[in-house]
Amino acid sequence: MNAEPCSCHLTASASGATLALTGAWRISTLSEGWRELSALRIHGPLVIDGSALQSLDSAAALSLLRALSAAGVDPGTIALNAFGERHRRIFDDVRRRLGSTEPVARRAKPRWLAEVGQKTVDLGSVLSGHLNFLGATLSAFGEAALQPRRLRLKELTTQFEQVCLNAVPVVTLVTLLIGVTIAYLLGLQAEKYGANIFVVDGVGIGMTREFAPIIVATIIAGRSGAAFTAQLGAMRLTEEIDAIRTLGLPPMQVLVVPRVLALMLALPLLVFVGDVMGIIGAMLVAEPMLGLTPTTFLERLREALDITHFWVGLGKAPVFALFIAVIGCRMGMSVERDTRAVGLATTSTVVQSIVAVILLDAAFAVLFQELGW
Amino acid sequence: MSDNVIEVDDIVTHLGAQTIHNGVRFAIPRGTLAAMIGGSGTGKSVLLREIIGLQRPSAGHVRVLGTDMWHSSADQIAGVRRRFGMMFQDGALFSSLSVAQNVALPLIEHAPPPQELLEPLIQLRLAQAGLPADAGAKMPSELSGGMRKRAAIARALALEPEILFLDEPTSGLDPTTARGFDRLVRSLVDDLGITVLLVTHDLDTLLTVTDRLIVLQEGLVLADGPVSEVMHVDHPWIRSYFSIRTMVTAASGSEVK
Repeated sequence: MNAEPCSCHLTASASGATLALTGAWRISTLSEGWRELSALRIHGPLVIDGSALQSLDSAAALSLLRALSAAGVDPGTIALNAFGERHRRIFDDVRRRLGSTEPVARRAKPRWLAEVGQKTVDLGSVLSGHLNFLGATLSAFGEAALQPRRLRLKELTTQFEQVCLNAVPVVTLVTLLIGVTIAYLLGLQAEKYGANIFVVDGVGIGMTREFAPIIVATIIAGRSGAAFTAQLGAMRLTEEIDAIRTLGLPPMQVLVVPRVLALMLALPLLVFVGDVMGIIGAMLVAEPMLGLTPTTFLERLREALDITHFWVGLGKAPVFALFIAVIGCRMGMSVERDTRAVGLATTSTVVQSIVAVILLDAAFAVLFQELGW
Repeated sequence: MSDNVIEVDDIVTHLGAQTIHNGVRFAIPRGTLAAMIGGSGTGKSVLLREIIGLQRPSAGHVRVLGTDMWHSSADQIAGVRRRFGMMFQDGALFSSLSVAQNVALPLIEHAPPPQELLEPLIQLRLAQAGLPADAGAKMPSELSGGMRKRAAIARALALEPEILFLDEPTSGLDPTTARGFDRLVRSLVDDLGITVLLVTHDLDTLLTVTDRLIVLQEGLVLADGPVSEVMHVDHPWIRSYFSIRTMVTAASGSEVK
């Protein structure tokens, strides 16, 4: 198509004005047409001459009508001369709809103080929702404990496989490297004082009491917490959860209890894997760097590592798991029914679970300190 | 040059071991409202995806506005894509954007209008799709099924397409809304001169607004022509398809228009 550029030419006479349109008036040439039209000032009745008009689409007709009404012409009084049948129809169609093209008033943006208030209220309702869900989960656990037949064993084992067995490789790799790093950094300092042997104390206590639980919980929050939200959110989106409810099955028993229980069983086991791998990692660098043979390392470990540290680290894991699983399930179960919401909820789950794990860990630190463990 | 805006030439499609199309051919002239029907699994939606360049046919040619959708440069295809609009079955509106932003997206990307015109243009598209003016501020999740389809049409209309493809435009709508939709599509053809190709199961749409009916069956075009002719083709599938309608109208004592 070789279209002439659009242009217009205004002639005024005693009886009124005539606007002659030439070329192709299309959405692709909207800016050129608009520029010419905005310069016009017209008084009196207007006739538009379309004898040299090659094409006209509805976007161009809109720009024409809006520019002309801005120039002082009542769109209803514009007469068309020598317009093609199609062009006339498009022009009249847009003219008819002109009233509805006025920009609508936008909702006013809230002030910052109102926004802070709104965010606080939102946060409060998220937290109270979590508490509510925690209560519902615990009561579902109670039901399952009273009637063990209600527990979905198959779902539990499937979930356990996913959150525990499938997570072993990544947990192994990460904690092994953490063990290597800690031993290396401690070794650099200890060597200066000839206190090589105390690296074992540091790694043993640090790894079992703090590093393994925190690091494994963080991995699991990102891995399984996010997965719970995404799975349950997608099920909510496709009305699967409603279907479960309609079939007379309690979603808490079918979906939530197996996930929470699987994670609470899995996390201590994974923390144990983390403990062992961290210590192995430390042993790997201890021999070449600090001259500690594995035998020396293990002997020292037995003396230095009080079993309490190990139990403290392991005991925190189910609590972390409970919070991660409850947050993950709750965010998934309460997701709004649109695709964007699932992504947002999943992100939110990861952030919330990691923050929860760290807050819990701090609380445990204070608690155990007071208890003298 | 012929004025066929869509040309489908000997399309063959294999999905796995299955042959979906085995030499489908038809051409649609400008300004036509054409409908494609066929039993489930006859590959209507697949054919639609092949025509708009989303799924590659195993063999054959598709020309849209004179451009071969599968044997042209990326620039040429991008150029053609700006000249047609597609409404997906569930709208496929971007859920993170409001309706107005959905409509504005193709405009801003491909044909940015003068700033003063952007908002009126969006409102015009909403009005052309039959949406109220306040629908623009809503998010797609706040819309009903029918509104979502209208919003999808508004977005498809954004760039003044020469062709509009509609995948099951009236599915999941109540009869009143569906008939409103038919009138809307018809007016797009009559008033704006757009060519429409739609896939449908809705007999009312077929009988009241379409100019042309293409029946896909067993991988081939079984019948192609005005509805009144296709209706009387002597083939078991077509007979059973239209007999449902005859039964309904006979029961209600009225006649098919």
